[in-house]
Amino acid sequence: MSWLSALRGAGPRKDTAVRGSAARSGVAEEGPEIHRSLALPAVFSTLARGHRLNVLDLGPAIGGNVERLSEFSCKLYIEDLYASRSQEGAARSLGPDFFAQFLAPPEGTQFDLVLAWDLFNYLDRKELALLAERLRRFCRPGALLFALSSIHKTIPAQPIRFRFHDRDEDQLVYERLTLVERPGPRFVPAEFNDLLRGFQVDRSFLLRHGIQEYLFLREG
Amino acid sequence: MAVWKRDDPPGHHPAEPAPAAPRPTPASTSTPTAPEPPRRSGDRATIGPSIFIKGDLTGDEDLVIEGRVEGKVDLKQNNVTVGRNGKVKADVFGRVVSIEGEVDGNVFAQEQAVLRQSGAIRGNITAPRVVLEDGSRFKGTIDMEPKERHLAGAPAPVPSRIAAPATEPGTAAEVPAGLIRSAQAG
Repeated sequence: MSWLSALRGAGPRKDTAVRGSAARSGVAEEGPEIHRSLALPAVFSTLARGHRLNVLDLGPAIGGNVERLSEFSCKLYIEDLYASRSQEGAARSLGPDFFAQFLAPPEGTQFDLVLAWDLFNYLDRKELALLAERLRRFCRPGALLFALSSIHKTIPAQPIRFRFHDRDEDQLVYERLTLVERPGPRFVPAEFNDLLRGFQVDRSFLLRHGIQEYLFLREG
Repeated sequence: MAVWKRDDPPGHHPAEPAPAAPRPTPASTSTPTAPEPPRRSGDRATIGPSIFIKGDLTGDEDLVIEGRVEGKVDLKQNNVTVGRNGKVKADVFGRVVSIEGEVDGNVFAQEQAVLRQSGAIRGNITAPRVVLEDGSRFKGTIDMEPKERHLAGAPAPVPSRIAAPATEPGTAAEVPAGLIRSAQAG
């Protein structure tokens, strides 16, 4: 059974597949899953459009993604916000100082593409607004922001690791790191428009496994 | 205690006698004890785990760092490996730079930079090709400019395939932003 489809909240309640030692340790035993992505082609299209684009990856450094992005000779900034947030202590809500320190690229840097993956699921609404404020400052008008959000009541306690597929530009590899769950924020697009000031939902895609993909555009 | 130790296997004897002192002598070093003159091996030199060097390293042979280095490592024409025990607080220049330990500084590789599973970099990587193994830790910027493309002046690649939005029922659906709430409720 797919661990994504096992997540509760988007239909009849189902128990998450947890087996043996994994149940005790909370470590995911299931392997990565591959899902079709409707937003990724636009991401690759953006990458192909320009040369020496500035790309900000707000997830962890993942070899396959770096290798894939290297085909586009971009400049890649990797800032794992969730990891930095965990170091600060996940219990409290983070303030403007954290975000100012966290996202401080060299003066004049303007990102063309931001990969937020499922980070928004792990920020509260105030933090999301603060992050958007920083992104707005460092994204050029028309910049693309790619994010995923879960519509499930619960989400994995840690962000999923997402990898570009080796070959297909409309496939995304999901790797769940833990079977432990936490409540999901269940953002809706109208809320994003309010929280992510300066960005506009350009397109959103609700996928059948309960993940909603978003493409935001930095307003001019 | 030798700063540099040979990587030659036991019993290996180079055909020619090793030169007395190779160039990679640090400009200034600070080590627990006065080092012997660095010895050159046929393939590469190694800075052992108990060695701490403060200053600039230059030279013309491959280098493995298992100790601590602060300053600058400048071996642009050679391979530099920061071993599992290595801790480098410096900018590292090399042809192929491979990191298995920790680097707090920028990495400049002429050909390739490799961050192994056990490795960690806090700084920027500039290389035509960058390999990050899963499990490695990286915080910084990766500047990837393919050398051949740069030299040839070729345009940026076009993705092999740009998929159109799926319309097949049951697979996924493009939902206008304003309709998501009602779609969820349904």
